[in-house]
Amino acid sequence: MSQAIVTPDATRQRAIGQIVLLAAGVLVLVLVSASSVILVNQARKDNAWVVHTVEVENQISTLLLQIRRAESAARGYLLTSDPQFLTEHEYARATILPDVDKLTRLAGDNSVQIENSRQLRAPVEARLAEFAKAIDFVKRNDIPGGIAMLRQPGASDSVQRINEVATAMRTEEDRLFALRTATADHTQLLASVVTVAGSALVIALAGISMVLVRRSARARDQAEMLLRHNNLNLEATVDDRTAELREANNEIQRFAYIVSHDLRSPLVNIMGFTSELEELRHDIFRRIATLSREEVAASALPLVPGAIEPALEGQDKQLSQDFAEALGFIKSSIAKMDRLITAILNLTREGRREFEPVRIDTRELIEGIVATVAHQAAEAQAQIRIEPLPDIVSDRLALEQIFSNLIDNALKYVRPGMPCDIAIRGRTKLGFAIFEIADNGRGIDPKDHMRIFDLFRRAGAQDRPGQGIGLAHVRALVRRLGGTISLQSALNQGSTFTLTLPIAWSASNRNKDT
Amino acid sequence: MSKPVTIIMIEDDEGHARLIERNIRRSGVNNDIIPFTNGTDAINYLFGEDGSGVAHKGEALLILLDLNLPDTTGIEILRRVKQNQHLKCAPVVVLTTTDDSQEIKRCYEFGCNVYITKPVNYESFANAIRQLGLFFSVIQVPPAAA
Repeated sequence: MSQAIVTPDATRQRAIGQIVLLAAGVLVLVLVSASSVILVNQARKDNAWVVHTVEVENQISTLLLQIRRAESAARGYLLTSDPQFLTEHEYARATILPDVDKLTRLAGDNSVQIENSRQLRAPVEARLAEFAKAIDFVKRNDIPGGIAMLRQPGASDSVQRINEVATAMRTEEDRLFALRTATADHTQLLASVVTVAGSALVIALAGISMVLVRRSARARDQAEMLLRHNNLNLEATVDDRTAELREANNEIQRFAYIVSHDLRSPLVNIMGFTSELEELRHDIFRRIATLSREEVAASALPLVPGAIEPALEGQDKQLSQDFAEALGFIKSSIAKMDRLITAILNLTREGRREFEPVRIDTRELIEGIVATVAHQAAEAQAQIRIEPLPDIVSDRLALEQIFSNLIDNALKYVRPGMPCDIAIRGRTKLGFAIFEIADNGRGIDPKDHMRIFDLFRRAGAQDRPGQGIGLAHVRALVRRLGGTISLQSALNQGSTFTLTLPIAWSASNRNKDT
Repeated sequence: MSKPVTIIMIEDDEGHARLIERNIRRSGVNNDIIPFTNGTDAINYLFGEDGSGVAHKGEALLILLDLNLPDTTGIEILRRVKQNQHLKCAPVVVLTTTDDSQEIKRCYEFGCNVYITKPVNYESFANAIRQLGLFFSVIQVPPAAA
C-alpha cells in the first residue's frame, strides 16, 4: 500500500490549523467592526467640531454685522434724525450683547477663544456706550456734537479693538478649522483604511479556509476510498479465512466420523470373537472336565446333565478362572472403547446438527433442568439458586445440554461434608448475555483449567463416574453458538463457569454447509 | 418354491462375515451364502458381464449389504440393485456400523428393506443375526421378475 496514509498527527495538526484560522477570521472581523464603529464615532465627533468652528465664525460675523448695523443706523439717525433709524439702531443694539454672550458660550471650549471673547466684551460695550452717547446728542438736538463724538479718536479705538479681537478670533477659528478638518479627514481615511484592510484580511482568511477545506475534503475522500478498499479487502480476507476454517473444521468432523466409525468395525470383530472364545472356553473346559472324570473312572460326583459350568478341580479350575478373567478384561475394555467411540461419534454428530435459533425464556429452561436433577440435588443436599437471567435467542437443545452439563458437574464434584450451594447468575453486556454457574464444590486446580475442556480429560480425584466428555461437549456447543466459556476456580474454593453467549444468535454462516 | 433362496453377503470385513454366517447357521438357516469382500466383485456377480443382471432372472436372492466398502459405497450397490428390473424385488438387508439417522433414512429411500446396526455388544448382535435368520426362514422371496 503506497498511498500516503493520513497519520493521526497530521489530522490533528490540520484540525488545529483550521480552528486557529477560523478564530483569526472571527477576531479580525470583530476588530474591524469595533474599530469601524469607533472610527465612525470619532469622525462624527470630528465633523461636529468642524461644524462648531464654522458656527463660531458665523457668530463672529453676525456680531460684527450687528455692530455695523447699529453703527450705520446710528449714523443715519445722526444725519437725518429720522426715528426709523433710531428704531433700527435700537433693534440692532439689542442683539449685540446676547450675540457676544452666545459667542462667549460657543467659544467656551477653547481657552484662547475664551480669553478673546472676554476681551471682546469690553470694546463692544464701549462702542455701544459711544452709540448711546451720540444718540443722546441727537436727542438733545446737538447733532454736530454727536458727529464729533463719533469722530473722537477714542471711538475708533474701540472699533479697532473690536476688529482686532474679531480678527484674532477668526484667525484662531481658522486655525482650529484647518486642524479639525485635517483630523476629520485623517479619521475618515483611517476608517476606510481599516475597513479595506480588514475586508482584505477576511477575504484572504476565507480564501485560505476554502483551500484548507478543499484539501481536507480531498484527504477525507482519499481516506474514505482507502477505507472502503480496506474494508473490501478485509471482507474478502475474512471470507477466505472463514471458508478455510470451515473447510478445516468439516475435514476434522469427517475425519472424526470416519475414524470413530472405522474403529468400531474391528471392535465388532474383537467383541464377536471374544464372545466366540467364551463359547469355546465353555466347550473346552466341559470336555476337560468330562475327560478327567472318565480317567477317574469311579467318580463319586456324577455329571449333572446340562450344567453350565462343570465342576473342575485343582489346576484345571485355576486355568478356567484365569481364562475367564482375561476374557472379562478384554470385554470390559472393549465396552469402554465403545463408549469412547460413541462419544466421539455423538460429538461429531452434534457438530453437524443444524441449530435453530428460537427465543428462550432462560429461567424457565434452567428451572426445567433443575427439576430433572432434583433427585441428585437432594442427595448432595444442594441448594440451587436461580437469580434473574436475561432471555436470549439461541438453540434450545444446545443450551439445555450446556446448562445441564454444567449443573450436573456442580452437583457431582461437591466438597465432602459441605452442603452444596449452586448459584446461576446472568447479566447482559454489549449484545452478549453473560451467565455464571458458581458452586462451592471441590474446585479445579488452575493448571487443569485448559485440560478439562479437552475430550476424555478430567481433573482432580477420579472418584466419580464419567468419561471426560461433558465439558468438551459444552465447549463445542458454546463455540457453535458464537460464545465463549471460561473458568475461575482453585482447589477447594469452588468453581465459577462464565458463559458468554450472543443475546440474539442467528443461524449464521457456521450452519450453512454442515 | 422352485429354487431355494441364495444369500448374497457383501461385507468387506471377513471377521464380520464369519460372525454373521455363524449366527445365521446357528439359527438353523442352511441356504447358500455367497460372500463378497468388495463391491466390485459383488457388482460383477450381480449384474453380470453386460451389467444387465439378466443372469439372475428367475433366481430368488437375498442381499446382505455393508455400507462401508473399500472400493464403492453400499448405497451405490443398493441404488443399482433397486433400479435393475431383474433384481429390484430381491430384499436387501443393510448391515452396518452406522446408526446415523440420515444414513438410515437414505437407505430406506433407496429401497432397502431392513436396516440393522452392528452393535459392539456381541450378545445383541448375535441375537439380531439369529432373528434375521429366523426371518429368512419365514419370508417369501419372490423369484426375480422376468
